Amino acid sequence: MTDVTAGAAAADMRGSPDLAVRMEGVNKWYGAFHALKNIELSVQRGERIVICGPSGSGKSTLIRCINQLETIRDGRIVVDGYDLTGSKKNVDLVRQETGMVFQQFNLFPHMTVLENCTLAPMKVRGVSRAEAETTARKYLERVRIPEQADKYPAQLSGGQQQRVAIARALCMNPKIMLFDEPTSALDPEMVKEVLDTMIDLASEGMTMLCVTHEMGFARQVADRVIFMDRGEILEMGTPDAFFGNPQNERLKTFLGQIS
Amino acid sequence: MPLIRPFGLPEFWIILMAAQWTIALSAIAFAGGGLGGLLTALARVSDSRWLRGLSTGFIRLFQGTPLLMQLFLVFFGMNILGLAINPWVAAAVALTLHASAFLGEIWRGCIEAVPSGQREAATALGLRYVNRMRYVVLPQASRIAVAPTVGFLVQLIKGTSLAAIIGFTELTRQGQIINNATFSPFAVFGSVAVIYFMLCWPLSVLARRMEFRFSRSAVR
Repeated sequence: MTDVTAGAAAADMRGSPDLAVRMEGVNKWYGAFHALKNIELSVQRGERIVICGPSGSGKSTLIRCINQLETIRDGRIVVDGYDLTGSKKNVDLVRQETGMVFQQFNLFPHMTVLENCTLAPMKVRGVSRAEAETTARKYLERVRIPEQADKYPAQLSGGQQQRVAIARALCMNPKIMLFDEPTSALDPEMVKEVLDTMIDLASEGMTMLCVTHEMGFARQVADRVIFMDRGEILEMGTPDAFFGNPQNERLKTFLGQIS
Repeated sequence: MPLIRPFGLPEFWIILMAAQWTIALSAIAFAGGGLGGLLTALARVSDSRWLRGLSTGFIRLFQGTPLLMQLFLVFFGMNILGLAINPWVAAAVALTLHASAFLGEIWRGCIEAVPSGQREAATALGLRYVNRMRYVVLPQASRIAVAPTVGFLVQLIKGTSLAAIIGFTELTRQGQIINNATFSPFAVFGSVAVIYFMLCWPLSVLARRMEFRFSRSAVR
């Protein structure tokens, strides 16, 4: 399971430049609950990772550690060469380079779609309003809802809101995209439009980590699929190996239940 | 001039004019309390245990004691500190502290009512604390806050009447003075009550209207 040469890489500050994410011996506790157990994970640039597992298995917690929405008790996380351990500055930098899409969309309800997309570029990157709006319209075009720019989130369908959320994240020009069950809160007929947007993104070479139950999506776009249960990574492999020849007993049970 | 004069229009006019001091005191306490309340609310939801503890203590202290005692303590406390006794300053300071504590607690609730996903999304976009609060959390919290804040302002206006006891001549105290000259307590304090009502009632109506409007715009 360990695909990390920790000893050699541990010393240098920006780590191996071709790794997008490196997690070493990551442990996370919620009180007495051991949420993440000795997580070892390396993600190459441009790699598409799908993480699945039963609810409460720690898969959301894992990707939320990458942009430090969750703090860890011990271990080391290096994102795009920035070590997150004890460096607030690096955490800020990593958040700027990491886009996140949430299950509940989390669009800002008091702002229009366009304002949702321009806020962070203007306030974090210091981009002018005109430039931020041009970028925002470009990405709204890409997620195929340019005509909704001046509406408020509550006026859109769930699928449209989630596509706005993807566009909003892309406006920061991120190097890594994190998806936390992006289709779980959607009505079935809207799942496809969001998945299509994610497939587009994957085909453009974006580094992606997706927590999802959409196994069709995993088969189609993932380079590696990860199975988590009770805070541990139990299996990791190519979609063919993962679905065709699963080794772990709990994974076999899990795949039997969802298919 | 006779010792006892009748209660007439000139007397009513004197009382009405005193309402400006009630309004001034309310405005100062509300403005000061707005600033103090914002800081208190932010301290209450901050990551620092030290700030949270301090602001919680401040709120508990002012929620757990009568406004009159707060006025007394500031009024007589100024004397102990060697400052000149000044009812104006004492009333303004005491009411500002009082409003800071209550608005702090009201606004803490409003800030916490904004779903945590909003803060997370802003954080994930790289926005830091000040921008997160300024552009994402506080605008949403303020919509929720309008109605209870106007409601508290009504309480505050009525609360200024206690400043009469430390000798600050606002609406109530002017009523007492006129009553001492006219001995028409029912007419005098009836007039005082009507003036308070005319100040507070429109605000209550406004609060209800705004509550309705924001509850509709939340659905949009």
